[in-house]
Amino acid sequence: METKTVIDIKNVKKKFKGFELSIPDLQIPQGFATALIGENGAGKSTLLNILAGIRLDYKGELRFFDGTASDEEVRERIGYTASSLYFLPHWDAEAIAEAGEVLYESFSKEEFWKLCEDMAITDRKKPIKKLSDGMKMKMMLAATFARKTDLLVLDEPASPLDPLMRDKLCEMIRSYIEEGEGKKSVFFSTHNVADMESVTDYAVIMEKGTVVECGFVEELKEKYILVKGEAADAKRLKELLVGFRESAYGCEGLCLAEHLDHLAGMDVVKETPTLSQICVAVMRQYSLLKSA
Amino acid sequence: MKIMQNSGVPIYQQIAEQFKTDILNGKMKQGEYLPSIRGLAKELRISVITTMKAYEELEKQGLVTAVQGKGYYVNAQDSEMLREQHMRKMEEFLMSAIAAARVAGITDKELLETLKVLCAAEE
Repeated sequence: METKTVIDIKNVKKKFKGFELSIPDLQIPQGFATALIGENGAGKSTLLNILAGIRLDYKGELRFFDGTASDEEVRERIGYTASSLYFLPHWDAEAIAEAGEVLYESFSKEEFWKLCEDMAITDRKKPIKKLSDGMKMKMMLAATFARKTDLLVLDEPASPLDPLMRDKLCEMIRSYIEEGEGKKSVFFSTHNVADMESVTDYAVIMEKGTVVECGFVEELKEKYILVKGEAADAKRLKELLVGFRESAYGCEGLCLAEHLDHLAGMDVVKETPTLSQICVAVMRQYSLLKSA
Repeated sequence: MKIMQNSGVPIYQQIAEQFKTDILNGKMKQGEYLPSIRGLAKELRISVITTMKAYEELEKQGLVTAVQGKGYYVNAQDSEMLREQHMRKMEEFLMSAIAAARVAGITDKELLETLKVLCAAEE
């Protein structure tokens, strides 16, 4: 499938003590919602901070949109929410609205208050430090969606939200993408893959500072087949399956579609995996986590 | 349109099937555009890529044509192909009837008799 690129990442590197982020080549498709998935400490936030312009001490090349916009224009066209609060703690909703208007040309107070109402942020005078984590996130989302942008970079927006609000967030992302008619894109990191699958078009899986798998979800679901087999075949299946797991009663894992022939003669059942199952199996290959 | 999350049938296939039915029974007319990909995704609360895959499936089956920048429109359905499509569907249902009969040990003769009776009852 031919798609345009909204973020082009080339040879982006950032070294820390004992950890290196290294992304040789990654393109985020334009007009879609892309999920960034990976273990704690995989480097998701480091990458998003680099994209959001918060971290400037990196090596490599970033290109946004078609690459012709100035830095200032790019900043105006990108909305960002962090996984922790970036407003001053004593600010209330009214102060955030004031700041938004000063900082961004396209910030609309009217839109901000409408979003607050939609997300049931009712107390305009409560200092943000006194709000729950979920409320804080809603406030950041309201301030970000109240601007006219072409790209949203959201660092774990779903994590502090309740199930109902997660559903609402998916709705907001879908509306944003629809409004753009192929021009607006969203790039968000998440651990809540199952909750966000219905809004994920493209998935990027990171482990140990680099991208280990990426693709359109429907393509990944054709690339990997969920296979379940009998314990008697476990030894042979272990060689063939990604994210292999076994118990006394049987075993399972993901088989690359191109390797399905190798399963001939074994008593197995095949299923289309969910995005969550693909992520877990791929991540398990690289993780130091021990399976029970 | 009703989408089932846990039916085992991929969502893109369910969407493609429902449009296919609408096209084959004439509810969607030749030249008519399918809803926009992102609009439909929003309405059905599914990802954009799932809707795209459904439309690509319909295109593969020759039911619709993609126009760059404009979307997908319904093709003229020639009666030969229409008949072919219905034929395939009929065969599919007959195959499950045969399978059910075999499981219960019903003979082919009994099966054919039943079919005849049912056909007569429909007339």
